[in-house]
Amino acid sequence: MSAALPTTRQGAATRAILYAILLVFAVIYLLPLYVMLTTSFKTLDEIHQGNMLALPVEWTFAPWREAWGSACIGLECNGVHGYFFNSIKIVIPAVLISGLLGAFNGYVLTKWKFRGHKIVFGLILFSCFIPFQIILLPMARMLGVLHLANSTWGLVLVHIIYGIGFTTLFFRNFYASFPDELVRAAQLDGAGFFVIFFRILLPASVPIIVVTIIWQFTNVWNDFLFGVSFASGDSAPITVALNNLVNSSTGVKAYNVNMAAAMVAAVPTLIVYILAGKYFLRGLMSGSVKG
Amino acid sequence: MSFLHINNVHKRFGETHVLKGIDISIEQGDFLVLVGPSGCGKSTLLNMIAGLDSISEGELLLDGRCINDVHPSRRDIAMVFQSYALYPSMTVAGNIGFGLEMRKVPRKERREAVDRVAKLLQIENLLDRKPGQLSGGQRQRVAMGRALVRDPQLFLFDEPLSNLDAKLRVDMRTEIKQLHQRLGTTIVYVTHDQIEAMTLASRIAVMRGGELQQLGTPQAVYDDPNNLFVAGFMGSPSMNLIEARIVERDGVPVAQAIAGDTTLTLPIVRDRQALRDWCDRDVIIGLRPEAITDPASANHREGNIHEAELPVELVEPTGADLYVVTSLGGAHINARMRPGTPLRPGERARFAFDVSRMVVFDPETEGRVRDERTADVGDVLETA
Repeated sequence: MSAALPTTRQGAATRAILYAILLVFAVIYLLPLYVMLTTSFKTLDEIHQGNMLALPVEWTFAPWREAWGSACIGLECNGVHGYFFNSIKIVIPAVLISGLLGAFNGYVLTKWKFRGHKIVFGLILFSCFIPFQIILLPMARMLGVLHLANSTWGLVLVHIIYGIGFTTLFFRNFYASFPDELVRAAQLDGAGFFVIFFRILLPASVPIIVVTIIWQFTNVWNDFLFGVSFASGDSAPITVALNNLVNSSTGVKAYNVNMAAAMVAAVPTLIVYILAGKYFLRGLMSGSVKG
Repeated sequence: MSFLHINNVHKRFGETHVLKGIDISIEQGDFLVLVGPSGCGKSTLLNMIAGLDSISEGELLLDGRCINDVHPSRRDIAMVFQSYALYPSMTVAGNIGFGLEMRKVPRKERREAVDRVAKLLQIENLLDRKPGQLSGGQRQRVAMGRALVRDPQLFLFDEPLSNLDAKLRVDMRTEIKQLHQRLGTTIVYVTHDQIEAMTLASRIAVMRGGELQQLGTPQAVYDDPNNLFVAGFMGSPSMNLIEARIVERDGVPVAQAIAGDTTLTLPIVRDRQALRDWCDRDVIIGLRPEAITDPASANHREGNIHEAELPVELVEPTGADLYVVTSLGGAHINARMRPGTPLRPGERARFAFDVSRMVVFDPETEGRVRDERTADVGDVLETA
């Protein structure tokens, strides 16, 4: 790509302007993160002096310790760590199961086509466009019937159901460009439905698996509405706990603790992005661009 | 009982009738090539033999056993696909051994079988590579290895050379033929390339529009085509098809074609009985380019050479041959002459017609006009 760039002076000037604009936008986007991080390492006194953009004069980890282990959420003063693990307990099965089901759906919808497969795919796709709010009441009723109300497993179920639409879309589009001849060759070799899936398709699906994991992980981890609606108290996810922490009034607003807790809530998605982000675009582009 | 017997096989996709009653029989060790233009149903027929497409009507017998409803993996058939269809996440060894693994062959035996095939195909040094790291020709070999390792009763090849460049295609063609000769396997091979069909086959089945046009040895299909389609499709450059008229001369039929301001009269040697009924009717005569040549190159021994002077319109040297274009019956015709024959466009030259190789077609039905089948060309011909 770089070989094709203009080398004239005018070209260089244009690029300088371009980079300047990009830099400005990057700063705008990164500024809240910067404020969060610096604030979380400041003492309350320093915060009250008001210089929001300054680096901490005296670095302290106390707000982080408090947020993790002793901050008060409602009446309990155990910090957010319990809720952090709630979120982990929700996000891992929800991502794995919805991803696997989506992969199966994509496999069947492209390689084992049946009468009406287009309608079925259309209906699954339709679920991507249903707003969360619409299903709150019916879902609450369903979880009640299943005795899963107020539990992390209830939230897992909700996220699996909601995730299938997207995961199916991802895998179907990926497998649509996967050659049918491979499946036929495997059939002649004597491989059955599951062997073909697990031995041939799935190992070749790394890019789309990464896309699905990032997408589902971010959605499930950052979810607030389902969490606040279907899980309360001890089984709440970290997003709900963060909200409660900020709203639990103990007199003075502990901004540094709030910021530290917010960072705790944000770190896992950041890590997932940093580790797998480069696959994300590659995976989303696959099939549309050759090479 | 033949080894592979395709008995009145039909294929319908809803309203469309893709295969309209195909009958083909081959013996063990035969190399059958299904050839035809795209859309003729040859790949569908191959997929039906493999069991990847269902059979709408008719019967498929392999070694006396009806395999219509046998699962593809239990038909004892292996297939090489056009795209090679190598499993991308497995090594070459894994690819070749996969079929054996699925058949629960113990690891040690599997390894031995893979090594044996790899040696046969000279890909021993590639066994640990992934398909993505291989060249086209290497992938082709691995795909063949995957078929060979199972030692099946029947091999199917679906246009296996169409993704290779021209030179490699010729090399691999030779290798496939050598492999067939060495192993004596029975092969059904699909291609749209008539040269591949001619060079590889022990039997050619020419197909068009879901119907079998002719089944026979390459030489029979080439020399004695059933109809205009087969005549035009097989051979490159293709057969000269000339509008002519059958008239009676001294009690025997002859063919007359317009050559500029004169008329060329060609005596009839083949199918004389049938052509007696065609006097004073229009026909199309077919002559291969090599049956029209310069008088010096013609084979005069058999006494079937008829010479005539015609204008030279174009001269096309190919190195090995000299193709000379002239005009006959209102069409350009190609004559194959010895290289170095001193001819210039615009001159008139003597052309020698080997009339023993002339075939005659009915312009209405496009079928051959021929005598009742006798051992006419010396080859046993199958009825289509």
